[in-house]
Amino acid sequence: MDFLIEQFGNWKFYLIGAYPKGPLGGLSINIAIALLCMIISFFIGAIFGMGRLSCRRYISYPCIIYIEFVRATPALLLVFWFFLFIPSVLGTNISLFWSSVIALSIYSTAYQAEIVRGGILAVPRGQMEAALSSGMTRFQAARTVILPQAFRMMLPSFVSFFISLFKETSVIYIIGVIDLTQAGVIISQRQPDRMFASYLCMAIGFFVVCFSMSRVAKTLEKKVGILDLSSYRPTVCRTDLSLYPRGRGKSAA
Amino acid sequence: MITGIKVTVLIAVVTSVMSLLLGTLIAVMRKSRITPLRALGGLYVETFRNIPGLLWLLFFYFVFPEILPSGLGEKLNAYIYFPIVASIIALTFDNASYVSDIIRSGLLAVPPGQREAAISTGLSRIQQYRYVLLPQTFRKILPPLGTRMIHNFKNSSLCMAITAPELTWATQQIESLTFRGLEATTLATAFYIVVSLSIGGVIIILEKYLKIDIESITHMETG
Repeated sequence: MDFLIEQFGNWKFYLIGAYPKGPLGGLSINIAIALLCMIISFFIGAIFGMGRLSCRRYISYPCIIYIEFVRATPALLLVFWFFLFIPSVLGTNISLFWSSVIALSIYSTAYQAEIVRGGILAVPRGQMEAALSSGMTRFQAARTVILPQAFRMMLPSFVSFFISLFKETSVIYIIGVIDLTQAGVIISQRQPDRMFASYLCMAIGFFVVCFSMSRVAKTLEKKVGILDLSSYRPTVCRTDLSLYPRGRGKSAA
Repeated sequence: MITGIKVTVLIAVVTSVMSLLLGTLIAVMRKSRITPLRALGGLYVETFRNIPGLLWLLFFYFVFPEILPSGLGEKLNAYIYFPIVASIIALTFDNASYVSDIIRSGLLAVPPGQREAAISTGLSRIQQYRYVLLPQTFRKILPPLGTRMIHNFKNSSLCMAITAPELTWATQQIESLTFRGLEATTLATAFYIVVSLSIGGVIIILEKYLKIDIESITHMETG
């Protein structure tokens, strides 16, 4: 067990890299990149996801092509692509961190778009019809009726996608960002006889984050899954059927 | 680059087949009545799902020879195809955990009456799985399984981290030799896109084909 305790002495390097003196690294850069990509790609992905569902072909076809092409490409290749593309085409150097953020956001945008699409399709058709028949425009209906319900159903998939994105961030080690994997590899190269312990530390780092997030996803699934929709549908029906519509104003919301 | 494509396809095909077998085994283990087996299956899935595949690749390539007895480890390191073997092992284990989860959800989706019927006709447990449960499961899970296999194919690009001579590694070699990295990477990306989309197409065709099969069976049962 001594060798493990010795490895844990390096915990700072595993967690934040050489942060105060050098660039941020370690596990925190994995989390930072995953979060940034998640936020960026959430908005772009929502646009693409809704675009794919659009009935206008000049909107939906480009979205389909983008989503399918990106989903068919390995994340590693996209990371490489931006790593090589931005300096050679724009002629400017961009930091490794930002190039990997751009690449992984493009990667995750396609997946987020599919999640958004799935969520919108999971909303019962009647909701849209009801919204349209109450005089809303398609845009209003989407904003006030469909999307709030869809996002609720998407929440568990977002969390589980975050887990897979977080694991996917380990590929940036290959272009030389000092993330958790790179930190572990550096340490293991410095002490080749302690290799097993340093890999164990990396594994623990990833495991803790992913495992806790997957628990969060499971709880979310129970709390705001499809269950929730079924629990509030009867109340809507009741106000519609009642002879004394006291809650009229509220039932529309 | 052509050799790169060959190695990529080799890794992808071998890991897909092996992980399918291993995944089925683990899924059945997780449904077993024997608690240690069930616990072992659960542990396996949780461990491999929560740690990225890249880490497993590095683990099997760098660490695995270290923890073996010294003579054996050195032999492995000297073995010329060890990167490919290590990447096949690592990706198989990694993919099998996802596959087993998919299969498990498929097994849960098979109506319990099927199992009861199989028991009452006197099939042993192995026969139940072999003839009744698994065929139905695989039909149900074909779409997610296909997605997983595409993922597995894409994951084979990670093997470049351990210098397995596959497509991505070949593009990097071209880049370092000729500085034409962008072109090589674009070409490799195009290859990945074409193959992934065609796997997806094959899965869709297969799904349609099998669906007709199911319908004809149910028709026979009812008619």
